[in-house]
Amino acid sequence: MISGTTALFVWTLRADNRSVWPHVVRGAFAFMMLFTLSLAWTDAFGTTRIGLRFFETICSLNILIISVAGISYFSTAVTEEKDAGTLALLQLAGMSPLAITLGKSTSRLVSSLMLLAVQVPFSFLAVTLGGVLWQQLLAAWCALAAWLILVANAALLCSARCSTSGRAAAVAGSSAILFFLLPAVTRTTTAAIPPGILPQPVMTVLTNLPGALEIVSPLKRIDQILNNWQNTGFFGSQFTVSILMAAACFAVSTCRLTAWARHVSDSESLSGPAKRRLPVERCWKLPLIWRDFHFYTGGWPFFTMKFLAGFAVYASFVAIQQVSTDRWNIVLEQDFGWTAMLVFASVLTVEVLLYSSGSLFSELRQSTQSTIAMTPCSTVSILLQKAAGCLIAVLPAVFWSMFTLTVSRTSVLTLVDMDTIVVWGLMLIFSSHVAALFSLYTRWAALPLTVLVSFFAFFVIAGPVLTIPDVVDRIAITHNYRPSRAFAWTITAFWTWLFTLLPLQLWIRDQWIKLSRQ
Amino acid sequence: MPAITRNTVPAISVSGLSHAFRGHQALSNVSFCVLPQTLHGFVGPNGAGKTTTMRMICTLLQPNKGEVEIFGSNVRQNISAVRRRIGYMPDHFSMYRQMTVAEYLDFFGTAYGLTQVQRDRVIGDVLTLTDMDGRRNDLISGLSRGMQQRVSLARVLVHDPDLLLLDEPASGLDPRARIELMEILRELRRIGKTVFISSHILSELADLCDAVTVIDRGQVRYSGPMDLLLETTDQQPLWNLRLTTVLPGIIEKIKALPGVAEVTEPEFSNGRDFIIRSAEGLTGNDLLRALLPLDLPLASFGLQRRHLNDAFMDLTTRGVPA
Repeated sequence: MISGTTALFVWTLRADNRSVWPHVVRGAFAFMMLFTLSLAWTDAFGTTRIGLRFFETICSLNILIISVAGISYFSTAVTEEKDAGTLALLQLAGMSPLAITLGKSTSRLVSSLMLLAVQVPFSFLAVTLGGVLWQQLLAAWCALAAWLILVANAALLCSARCSTSGRAAAVAGSSAILFFLLPAVTRTTTAAIPPGILPQPVMTVLTNLPGALEIVSPLKRIDQILNNWQNTGFFGSQFTVSILMAAACFAVSTCRLTAWARHVSDSESLSGPAKRRLPVERCWKLPLIWRDFHFYTGGWPFFTMKFLAGFAVYASFVAIQQVSTDRWNIVLEQDFGWTAMLVFASVLTVEVLLYSSGSLFSELRQSTQSTIAMTPCSTVSILLQKAAGCLIAVLPAVFWSMFTLTVSRTSVLTLVDMDTIVVWGLMLIFSSHVAALFSLYTRWAALPLTVLVSFFAFFVIAGPVLTIPDVVDRIAITHNYRPSRAFAWTITAFWTWLFTLLPLQLWIRDQWIKLSRQ
Repeated sequence: MPAITRNTVPAISVSGLSHAFRGHQALSNVSFCVLPQTLHGFVGPNGAGKTTTMRMICTLLQPNKGEVEIFGSNVRQNISAVRRRIGYMPDHFSMYRQMTVAEYLDFFGTAYGLTQVQRDRVIGDVLTLTDMDGRRNDLISGLSRGMQQRVSLARVLVHDPDLLLLDEPASGLDPRARIELMEILRELRRIGKTVFISSHILSELADLCDAVTVIDRGQVRYSGPMDLLLETTDQQPLWNLRLTTVLPGIIEKIKALPGVAEVTEPEFSNGRDFIIRSAEGLTGNDLLRALLPLDLPLASFGLQRRHLNDAFMDLTTRGVPA
């Protein structure tokens, strides 16, 4: 077993070492340190806690990247063998389930821990800058490492259970979103429900659920370490529980791997001719829109489900508002409006990023790019049709975001102004382009790299984007013309497209043509 | 095979094609011609440049040097016109596995600009031709490899191209699926398509193709009629004689005939097959005339052709290209 595991481990590490992208990601992490340093310096200038601010930013970014990268990176550990049909070959070569899970996951985990390790020396600058102790730094890195190990093993479990990488990523992603949203949602719900409506045992479970989930929450733990150091230990329960849960996930993956793999191969070979349960309508005049909408994003059934889910979410907010204020109103007020907007905006962001990073990649995975290239459709038409297919799929999230913004405008605007919403929209479009571009170069790093690039790009893009409307206004006024804000935003959108989106679009087109010829 | 006349526009005309990838010369001055309505084989060892040539013919790759014309249209200048006349099947599976067979063909029919009525008719026709009529509502992911290959072939035919470029269509197929594929290709030639097929299965190509191009290390070693390639190169031709029954001592009797230089029995002949080398200047008729007095139970008599494997081995160089 040891030789097999070692071979798999060494091979994966070597492949990782030879590929340029992991090194790019590591370089990006080092750059991130420099950037957060300058950010903290400008943000906390004149105070004595620059180091704390600097380290807080680093931790937040790491949690975000670990959570996003964990889904796309670790969830393919076993499924990539299933996708390639090589899992059975590994088993035939005498590799035990333990050798496979150990070999496939440990190398990735080590590679990811190296990403954390590369930041540790830089983070000690925070001690010099002030506001944080070296013990706090080490405790925080341990908490982050524990979170990484938990994410890696939970994703490994999804990878062992699911038959394809796509399904594994979807399950792992949904679980992560649920993990982060559930405490807040449960707390809000239990606070809003008057006593006596739900049975006592249910209320007890609902009341204790957020606390139970937050035991392993890295956000809570980092907050404890940085802001309440005196009352917490070096490791804390987050570290211990995360490691124990990770070990449990690993054990279940290993024990059940053979049975789950057999189930997949049996269902493939014994099912006979496969038929679809729900019929799909005839091909549309623009075939790639039809293809992406129906066969990549889930088509009308999924579209309807998302629309109804949006309705259910909004209705829940209305119901909670009614229970807490004793007044029925479709307009969400106070915190309810902006919370609902935040939920819909988050869903829209996640959907856009997932679709944009997967749409072109799905063609590469199925090796269909050259077949499509042979049709009379031009490259630009192919790319636009694929984007349009995904756009239809995000319409439910767009609709409910716009609906909330329109109906509960007052509450939403207490948190953000319209300019911020427009900047978010432009950043979302920018990020979707970046994700699409990265998906043409790298297999697993498209999403985390997009998050990284978008984070830095925000500071570059947001400034001009927020300034241009004012400049347009002033120029117009000097010419005795008083334009609407929409006009100013149109001008901004045009400049943003010309200087940031157009170069990306041309790059995507050229790379797509290059891949079509391979 | 149609004769080359002044008015025949070649289906494919490749002249002086050269291409290099990162310093490696993949193709070097490749020239050959494929006549319309023929089945033209394209063979060569791994790494010989077959797929590169194919991709240049189907407009996916621009050559560094040289010209390719499809039915007289230059692939550099008339890309869209050329693409409408060709159907390309790559050497790897390139399918939307989550679609049904009919949806997959409907998708490509639409991409080629066919109306719904045209698509309905064409999909029915190509499914009948590829014998996939009964599987039109099956998901592609549930089909066997041979059936997926048939669906690929059906996809290539959806826009009714004049020229089919098939890169290793028989690779990975079981014998039955291969034989059925070859039957479909014969049928396609019969209905007037030109088929340019690359394959490693030489025995089937020899029976199937009218002409062949052999490529090795980026250079064309032979391009022309299959018969010409398979003719024996010896000065005295070899003749193949097959009897219906075994006759003891027949070899000696044939050897004693005038004009017979040598008689051998091929391996695994069961005593009924003989290879006869005739004397210099003797024709097949002369030899047959000499054999008739023996009153042999004749099953067949004909010129012994070389096997394509032998011709291939003679034309190509041993070893893997650098």
